[in-house]
Amino acid sequence: MRPGGPPRNLRSGQRPEGARGCRGHVQFGKSPQSPPSRTRFPSPKPSVSAAVRDCFRHRRRDSPWRVWTAALPPGRGRLRMSPRPRASEVRGPTSGTPAASQAARNRASPGASPDPQPPVAGEAATGGGSCRGKEGTSGELLPGQRVCKMAAPMELFCWSGGWGLPSVDLDSLAVLTYTRFTGAPLKVHKISNPWQSPSGIQWPYKEGNCEGRSRSRQVMICGHTSFSISGTLPALRTSNGEVISVPHKIITHLRKEKYNADYDLSARQGADTLAFMSLLEEKLLPVLIHTFWIDAKNYVEVTRKWYAEAMPFPLNLFLPGRMQRKYMERLQLLCGEHRPENEEELEKELYQEARECLTLLSQRLGSQKFFFGDAPASLDAFVFSHLVLLLQAKLPSGKLQAHLRGLHNLCVYCTHILSLYFPRDVAEVPPPRQMPAGPETEEEPYRRRNQILSVLAGLAAMVGYALLSGIVSIQRASPARAPSARALGMAEEDEEE
Amino acid sequence: MWIFWQPEKAFLQMCNLPVKVVCRANAEYMSPSGKVPFIHVGNQVVSELGPIVQFVKAKGHSLSDGLDEVQKAEMKAYMELVNNMLLTAELYLQWCDEATVGEITHARYGSPYPWPLNHILAYQKQWEVKRKMKAIGWGNKTLDQVLEDVDQCCQALSQRLGTQPYFFNKQPTELDALVFGHLYTILTTQLTSDELSEKVKNYSNLLAFCRRIEQHYFEDRGKGRLS
Repeated sequence: MRPGGPPRNLRSGQRPEGARGCRGHVQFGKSPQSPPSRTRFPSPKPSVSAAVRDCFRHRRRDSPWRVWTAALPPGRGRLRMSPRPRASEVRGPTSGTPAASQAARNRASPGASPDPQPPVAGEAATGGGSCRGKEGTSGELLPGQRVCKMAAPMELFCWSGGWGLPSVDLDSLAVLTYTRFTGAPLKVHKISNPWQSPSGIQWPYKEGNCEGRSRSRQVMICGHTSFSISGTLPALRTSNGEVISVPHKIITHLRKEKYNADYDLSARQGADTLAFMSLLEEKLLPVLIHTFWIDAKNYVEVTRKWYAEAMPFPLNLFLPGRMQRKYMERLQLLCGEHRPENEEELEKELYQEARECLTLLSQRLGSQKFFFGDAPASLDAFVFSHLVLLLQAKLPSGKLQAHLRGLHNLCVYCTHILSLYFPRDVAEVPPPRQMPAGPETEEEPYRRRNQILSVLAGLAAMVGYALLSGIVSIQRASPARAPSARALGMAEEDEEE
Repeated sequence: MWIFWQPEKAFLQMCNLPVKVVCRANAEYMSPSGKVPFIHVGNQVVSELGPIVQFVKAKGHSLSDGLDEVQKAEMKAYMELVNNMLLTAELYLQWCDEATVGEITHARYGSPYPWPLNHILAYQKQWEVKRKMKAIGWGNKTLDQVLEDVDQCCQALSQRLGTQPYFFNKQPTELDALVFGHLYTILTTQLTSDELSEKVKNYSNLLAFCRRIEQHYFEDRGKGRLS
């Protein structure tokens, strides 16, 4: 129970007893005609979400197979097991470890931790074992049956965090906040490589390794083995394998899945939500884009720096620039055709409207905790994401930032939500600030040592070359023999000449 | 002139300011921001409802003086909603719906110009609008989705209006002018299909609202065009 008020979630009502926490079970009975392409394997990685873990636990504890089929609505029981997914799952822990470690590095999933690794692996093995046993006894797959569709949790891919925030991207932040408000059991992947996003065209195209054919543009869950060149973040991969990449549609999908933060709103409040979201989009968003991407100082010192450091080589060489061009084009189209000579005026006008918008939001919020009372709604998610970016990022030229800091109730509102729903991200902020100092001082003695060594090596190389090529010769002869040696040396020189 | 002048005209009418509508083919080029309509007062040219409202306010006429801060915030928000949804939907229908484009829009837009300029300009405008739609995320929307958005917007407006005569108390404000303008346009413009106007007609209080304003402020037209 969150202290900020009851999350408006779980309006789906009664779920079957044996499937608690295992959302996929509810979906199994839905569409018998679902295309075979919707095959989902459980991730072989031990880093499964709580939902899938619960499934395994249930199955192991309560004569799993029976409970599972009992959880299906009667008359629609279908054998959904095939030996192959179980086998791959059992092999999972071994093969998935490198991927798991990478995923663990990238991920900041709320419920997962490295600890479930061994128990889940054990459970997976038992689950696989029992299922395979069952499979053996029941014979082949009956006609019309699909391959195993385990409870695939929804996965959210979004930009990773920075500047003291859970994510640096506006849309990702909005979606993340909404999921925290509603408590949706998503597996969150915080990545900094948009080419790993499941949206966009996948390459290389992967066929499903089971009876069902996967449709094009679907990525197998077995790992990030494919990438998408036009991928965008945030992206939600639903339990069906569908990928949604428009933030509003992601939230609509979550609402359909009964994670609705606006459930308790009256009709008038719902209308107000629409109105204020339009206000944000029209007045505040252009200026946010301008502040972070178009304003030269901010872009170079803050935005591009973060993206270039976060993205892997060689993407960081061209992707930030491409993103900037896209945003610039979007801004131009949003604001209409502006004549070049009026750019200064246009900028002034934009900022003035944004300031007005902030003041309006402040007036509407008043002294309430959230916009519609004591519990957060989707409007709060959007407003929070817009405001907190402006508030937290350390911008060199932040004209709007100064105005926002002057609106006290909005600042309190942002910090309240941040501390309540993203405590870990806020707590993570101080250590990284201290850490960069540490490695640097450690590196220094090594750096000095390396410098000295390299200088010595250079000197040794020069001297050795000089000696070997005869430019310099060492005369170790005694003083009596010295003249003859010198004569010899001179004779040699004469010969050379 | 094109069909977007209703909100501004309504607003000026509500302020009791006399206004004369002049149609020009190159109106878009005359406007300082490239958008129509615009007003030409003395030697000043002001375009779009927002700046027009402020201009008129500077001259001493204002409709929203009686509102408190929260209401003003709501008014601005709803105005943005209307701009965001209704205006964009109107643009979409005019320029991105193939049926309407082919039958009505191209012909109307290019009518002042000789061949081949009428086709060229029409296609250019269509391309521009499509680009803008893509930038704001409406590029992939189907007609049904657009109609659904309009329905959502009308529902929000209807819920906000409720049973009151105007959106805020008993006096009309800029929001009323804007909403009236757009709804009037939707209800009275002939398009290839009546789906858009049907969506609006589903909300009886909005229909009554439009009729009321038309009778009150445009009664010199004689019989209203709204049935």
